[in-house]
Amino acid sequence: MTATADTGQDWQAAWQPVIDAIGKDFAEGAVTWGGDAVERGGIRRYLEPLELDCALHTDPELARAAGYADVTMPATGVIAWTIPAAWTPGQVLFASSERDAQPVHSAINNADMTLGPRTTGFFGTDIEVDFLRDVVAGERLGRRGRTLLSCKPKETAVGRGAFLTWGSEIVTAELEVVGRIRIGTYAYVPHAKEEDAS
Amino acid sequence: MSAETPLLEGRRFEDVAVGEQLPVVELPLTVYRLVMAAGSNRDFNSIHHNTEYARSTGAEEMYANTSFLMSSWERSVRDWMGLAGRIRGIRGFRMRSFNYVGDTLRVIAEVAATRLEGETGIVEIAIRCENGAGVSVGPGVVEVELPRRAAESGTATTTTTSTTGQETP
Repeated sequence: MTATADTGQDWQAAWQPVIDAIGKDFAEGAVTWGGDAVERGGIRRYLEPLELDCALHTDPELARAAGYADVTMPATGVIAWTIPAAWTPGQVLFASSERDAQPVHSAINNADMTLGPRTTGFFGTDIEVDFLRDVVAGERLGRRGRTLLSCKPKETAVGRGAFLTWGSEIVTAELEVVGRIRIGTYAYVPHAKEEDAS
Repeated sequence: MSAETPLLEGRRFEDVAVGEQLPVVELPLTVYRLVMAAGSNRDFNSIHHNTEYARSTGAEEMYANTSFLMSSWERSVRDWMGLAGRIRGIRGFRMRSFNYVGDTLRVIAEVAATRLEGETGIVEIAIRCENGAGVSVGPGVVEVELPRRAAESGTATTTTTSTTGQETP
């Protein structure tokens, strides 16, 4: 491994601007809308890999008899149905033919973070959700706000980075708050592979 | 779910006892399943469907995404409570290790506490995921509302239930 100036204190200090921003709403109250409204086909596909058998999600007649306007979205769908569209008309999404090239745009990374070190590794770590009411097919969901609640730099087995916690409200098209979510993520720079460091 | 929907099949608050084990849910984590999960829950991060890419980020293999794992808790709870209950919160959902392709995810849960909030029966379910390496997600809590037989029959009482499941006047 080559000598660098990347001491333990240096890499942690690089996260200080992020720590200083705790409490800031990076979305400034704006709503990030899901790519699609909640709809029956999307619910059915959501259930498939889970083999989740609940007629409230699949049987409109039963759901209506139970007092709902249509089939209900699985509660945990608040994440899937608030992820924005991966592509919009006019955009170029795939600009490289390399096998593992990433799309030009993705909502599933830390690329839109304006502070702190640039990171290439990213995954979810923890979630807390309050489901204030059930959501049904036909409703559109979004996440309002993106408030940074915590930032804890830490080196892990996969790299150096920070654990970040974000808070948002889940809202409908009418801006009714139907849930609150706190999502933890780990954004990091992966460790160099041993063969690369030789 | 509204208070006017007492006819749905499923578990009632009075049926629940602290310590009751929920049926274990086993979910083999095949490439096929992980790809289906990514397509349906829209988490297309390549770490969840591309071994080579996942290894470049420090993982040993591609691994199940957060949304899928959290919904596995919903599967477990829904299997147990049936149609009549409603999930109202998830806490303590914390990733402890990656859930790699080729492993089998087991969702293990039990009733941790019950209480009444007014006329609403609340059940806290302690829940976790395990894989071949041990506990991989949680332990956390799924909080659900269950209908009460007493309310359905119009004979609701004013008893309260402690977190040990014992009724007190």
